[in-house]
Amino acid sequence: MNPIFLIIIVLFPALTSVLIHLIKFKNRRHMMWFTEFIVLATSLLVWALLLNRPEETITLFKFTGNLSVSFKLDGLACVFAGLVSILWPLATFYSFEYMKHEEHEQVFFMFYTMTYGVTLGIATSSNIFSMYFFYELLTIVTTPLVIHTLKKEAVDAARKYIYYSMGGAAFAFIGMVFVIIYGSPLEFTYGGVLKNGSFSGNINTLYLIYVLAFMGFGVKAAIWPLCGWLPKAGVAPTPVTALLHAVAVVKSGAYATMRLTYYCFGVDLLKGSWAQETILVFTIITIVYGCSMAVKDRHIKRRLAYSTVSNLSYILFGVALMSPLGLIGALSHMIAHAFMKICSFFCAGAIMYKTERHYVYQLDGFGRKMPKVFTIFTISAFALMGVPGLPGFVSKFNLAKAAVESGSVLAYVGVGALLVSALLTAIYMLTIVVRAFFPKDDFDYETIKDVEDPNYIMIVPLTVFVIFMLIIGLYPKPLLDLFATIAAGNF
Amino acid sequence: MNPQIILTTSVLFPILAGLILFLFKKDDDKKIVYPVFGISLLVTALFVILLLGAGPVDITVFELMDGVAINFRLDNLGRFFLVIVSLVWVMAGLFSLEYIKHEKRQNRFFGFYLIIYGVLIGLGCSGNLITMYAFYEFMTICSVPIVLHNQKREAIMAALKFLFYSFFGAYMALFGIYFMFKYCITVDFIPGGSLNPALVPGNETLLLVCVCLMIFGFSVKAGMFPLHAWLPAAHPVAPAPASAVLSAIIVKSGIFAILRVVFYIFGADFIRGTWVQQLVLITSLMTVFMGSLLAFREKVLKKRLAYSTVSQLSYILFGIMILNPVSLTGSLFHVIAHAFIKSALFLSVGAIIYKTGLTTIDDMKGIGKKMPVTIWCYTICSLGLIGIPPTGGFISKWYLATGSIKSGIPVFAYLGPAILLVSALLTAGYLLPVTIKGFFPGEDYDYKNHKNIEPGIYMVLPLIVLAALTLLLGIYPSVASVYINDIVNTMFNM
Repeated sequence: MNPIFLIIIVLFPALTSVLIHLIKFKNRRHMMWFTEFIVLATSLLVWALLLNRPEETITLFKFTGNLSVSFKLDGLACVFAGLVSILWPLATFYSFEYMKHEEHEQVFFMFYTMTYGVTLGIATSSNIFSMYFFYELLTIVTTPLVIHTLKKEAVDAARKYIYYSMGGAAFAFIGMVFVIIYGSPLEFTYGGVLKNGSFSGNINTLYLIYVLAFMGFGVKAAIWPLCGWLPKAGVAPTPVTALLHAVAVVKSGAYATMRLTYYCFGVDLLKGSWAQETILVFTIITIVYGCSMAVKDRHIKRRLAYSTVSNLSYILFGVALMSPLGLIGALSHMIAHAFMKICSFFCAGAIMYKTERHYVYQLDGFGRKMPKVFTIFTISAFALMGVPGLPGFVSKFNLAKAAVESGSVLAYVGVGALLVSALLTAIYMLTIVVRAFFPKDDFDYETIKDVEDPNYIMIVPLTVFVIFMLIIGLYPKPLLDLFATIAAGNF
Repeated sequence: MNPQIILTTSVLFPILAGLILFLFKKDDDKKIVYPVFGISLLVTALFVILLLGAGPVDITVFELMDGVAINFRLDNLGRFFLVIVSLVWVMAGLFSLEYIKHEKRQNRFFGFYLIIYGVLIGLGCSGNLITMYAFYEFMTICSVPIVLHNQKREAIMAALKFLFYSFFGAYMALFGIYFMFKYCITVDFIPGGSLNPALVPGNETLLLVCVCLMIFGFSVKAGMFPLHAWLPAAHPVAPAPASAVLSAIIVKSGIFAILRVVFYIFGADFIRGTWVQQLVLITSLMTVFMGSLLAFREKVLKKRLAYSTVSQLSYILFGIMILNPVSLTGSLFHVIAHAFIKSALFLSVGAIIYKTGLTTIDDMKGIGKKMPVTIWCYTICSLGLIGIPPTGGFISKWYLATGSIKSGIPVFAYLGPAILLVSALLTAGYLLPVTIKGFFPGEDYDYKNHKNIEPGIYMVLPLIVLAALTLLLGIYPSVASVYINDIVNTMFNM
């Protein structure tokens, strides 16, 4: 297909979304149709592009010198763009029901759709400058979504989000400048652009800059100790927490670290250095820290947010292993976690929307009253734990395989951390499941007689996610083959 | 019929039947639930018999990832496991037909009971590590509802304890399993092990850590110290048939997995003489002693039996880790003997609870006069567990002791039998008081109000069958030893 479409998939949702706010819709249904149309059209276009991939790079505009905002659809971009294009229409559909009772609905949907375009921009960026450009844009367009309710805590959360993200981007900026100055070509190249001894200075400087840049991008991927914003941002409406803070925004961070490590600095330079060890240590700490906090927290959404913190570091751990297998593991967990977490968040959202309950200890006996939601929640809990037959098992297996093959002791510790985290996941997810399905013997169902399953607008996306989970969990081979091609540098 | 179809059916049929039982919710469905459960149980057992008779099976159901396949292969150890599972499962199932009447949510109990049966058949037929691990996890998850069945507070807490202990163990084992994909030629179960000889030199420590984690991980299910605490918590709260199968079968799946790891992945030679062997021998002997002692102190009968299981399972682990054919024979004998004995003991305690509601030993004065058949079966099985001839327990302890002495491992060769003897004494001390108080209530017992409250045929028949099997195993050990020798020879590549 003509590469001009690469620009269209970014600009179309980003620009037309403004209309959602400007048009005075006669009734809500029209607004729904219009929004869903934009999102669905974009997704279809993305898939048309994925299936007929344009090889060329296309430039949107040039800044000074060789800095340009340009797009290219390589293997990694295909994975990320494909992922968000599946999730976005379904999440939008879900939001129609969830946002029914909220105010400023049109503003919400404007920014929600705009974020889609920006995320696709990150996915398809062909050089580190344009990735950075969209990365900053992402922070800006998602802030209104966090702040949406305009309550005090939402404002605080948004402020924290901005500070963390902008601060992280500043560190990432250092890395970007370094890559632009010393790297050639500027375009992302698998294996890195810094080789051939282009940087003649002290190698430790390079390592330091890499670590800074990694941590900078890692802010969005909620790496410890820079993960404080994510649980706080849980005050946003659930569609935001589910799609942005479990997939789009945080995975943009993880995606950026992949680009930085495998496509800019290059693993040959970094492998075995103290830079690798440093980030491995940080990811391992985060994996255990996130889970422990999730066990501690009894607010459902915050618990899931901490779980996201931990799971994102699985991806970063894979990235930090700096081997093709590590990239395969990271990518498979990126996909697996997206479906598992959006599913569990949407279940939590359904609970909050229908029943106004926010805490784990209020969920006694809900399993009988909301059978569909809790069945799906149980499946996603099992998936997160890594029960065989579900995607979590597949991705953890690949991460562990990469760690075992790498042969370093720190990576073995990482495998241990993955399993400790799996146990903690079992604790924080299954306590909810057991509580919901097996309340105490003397539990009085009269006290929760207002509780019921939500309507099809919420159930349909959840069901689709479960189907995707089962497919990935039981037949991951095509996906893994694709990742293997990417990790071999052939795509 | 094609053996592959039989295998698939015998895994899937009970699971589907169990799921169908969940559809019945109302109380008037009982007329349907009971027969459906009974028939499905027997049909599954029939499938297992067909499977045992069928020729060699080797099917790869599907390949999850490269090198990670769900594979079923039935070898002699698998058949051994299936026979024990089926015998106990059918007996405890028959028992529950009567017992479960005084509990609520019968269809849920029956449903999960059938599902676990299917999962266990899958576990027994697993042909490689990953398949076994998968069924092992499914088994844990499916067992939770039957443990917390009455949904009292302590039952739910015990079930969570069971769940998290089991997962802790499973993940410890999984750590080792991940490494096996690199250091083994194949993760299929091959007698004598499949370690890659090219990769072993230089990595011995790592591999020993792996095998240690795998053994300790799987032994969580087998209740080895220090991770035994779930057993005495989960057994007393579960309904009697559930505790019977927990104690007789579910804990044995840990043993089964350890056998697979030790003899079919690493091979006995790799572990013999290493610190791993020493460590497991020490902990298993400690568990034998400590379990018996704790059982001796315990007043609640079901809890006492649970501690007894902790102790007895470590006999088996001890026998396995001596790593010689004779003691392994003893272990496998003890797997059978303990499965029959402990399920019968739990079922007879269940019968007492069902009829009288008594749980502590002090209250059981004269119980033997009221329920003579039950207490006779209890007594026979107690004698079996102590190891008095002519019961199955004697045979297994004989092999365990001689194997241990023959092994010549310093200290343990003699320490082992000594501790086994002490533990046998304690076993007599903690099991026989029920018999003594039951049959000889003392002078002040009120004989006038005496009446026979023997439970119905569904409860008594399984007890009689299991007690008879215990006796038969001791009187005609040669029937079993033919098969056990065959398995042992395979494991040691003789």
